Amino acid sequence: MKIQIVRDVLEANDQLADSIRGEAKKLGFTLINIMSSPGSGKTSLLESVIPELKKKGIRLAVIEGDITTTADAERIAILDIPVAQINTEPFGGDCHLGAEVIIPALQKFDLANLDLVFIENVGNLVCPAEFDTGADYNFVVISTTEGEDKPLKYPLMFRVCDTAIINKIDLLPYLDIDINKLKKNISQINPKINLMSCSAKTGENIPGIAQFIFNLVK
Amino acid sequence: MHELQIAQNIITIVNDELLKSENKNNVDTVYFIAGRMRAIIPETLQFSFDVQKKSHKQLKNSKLSIKEINIAIKCKDCEHQQTISEPVFHCNKCLSTNIEIINGNELYVDSIELNE
Repeated sequence: MKIQIVRDVLEANDQLADSIRGEAKKLGFTLINIMSSPGSGKTSLLESVIPELKKKGIRLAVIEGDITTTADAERIAILDIPVAQINTEPFGGDCHLGAEVIIPALQKFDLANLDLVFIENVGNLVCPAEFDTGADYNFVVISTTEGEDKPLKYPLMFRVCDTAIINKIDLLPYLDIDINKLKKNISQINPKINLMSCSAKTGENIPGIAQFIFNLVK
Repeated sequence: MHELQIAQNIITIVNDELLKSENKNNVDTVYFIAGRMRAIIPETLQFSFDVQKKSHKQLKNSKLSIKEINIAIKCKDCEHQQTISEPVFHCNKCLSTNIEIINGNELYVDSIELNE
């Protein structure tokens, strides 16, 4: 006997994600999910952009999804903003953040008095693309050291993101990467993506990125 | 690695449907559909399913059948439809980038076959 089912395997996650977006709309904060490979500079980008956003009067918080260590959370906490570290088991860390772990993390904040919450996802270009975190916007950070081919190898990531930020442009003189080819590959996967480049280390283009994020805030 | 959670979700959905139908028969095959956009590695999903099914009475002897769906896009400007084997998301007829993905994003449990 055959039983017809036709149920999406991510339905439970997607429902939770929708409920997060509903809550964010009601309380008036914007949720931005930042994804990348390990070491592309998600934390560095936040370290450079957060002071600019604070100067513009944005009240913000960060959810840190790093596996096992609190190193990133400590780097962000120095900026004097609320940080919620998602707890993963030592040695049993997950490869992505699902909506079910975002909900308790958000509950640690005084959401009614926040304008913006960043999620720093686990460094990985595959799994985080599959799981809707409930964010209003998805960003992918790709660094110049990763090579031009990464968008072609991880197309889902570049399809689900609204914005791609090329980081570490200060290293371009020392690398063989053709940045125009990287941009072309990103646009080929997602012609509608907002494409920006910066150096979180030197601060190049960081004010522009801060302004872009400022304009997204509800 | 996401295959581990997807396998777990497949088992949750099947158990939920078995409970709803009040059917006590064992499952012979679970039919699963995966679009190629979703970057599922069938061998890994199969392995994750086989590891986890053992603790579920009606599923422990079941097989997982994975059907992969190619990515198909439709041009919103000229209506041309095509399947793509490389990640190039533009119309190959009029070169427009104004396209929608019509197939390839699937990720669902289609049906189950039960033992008589």
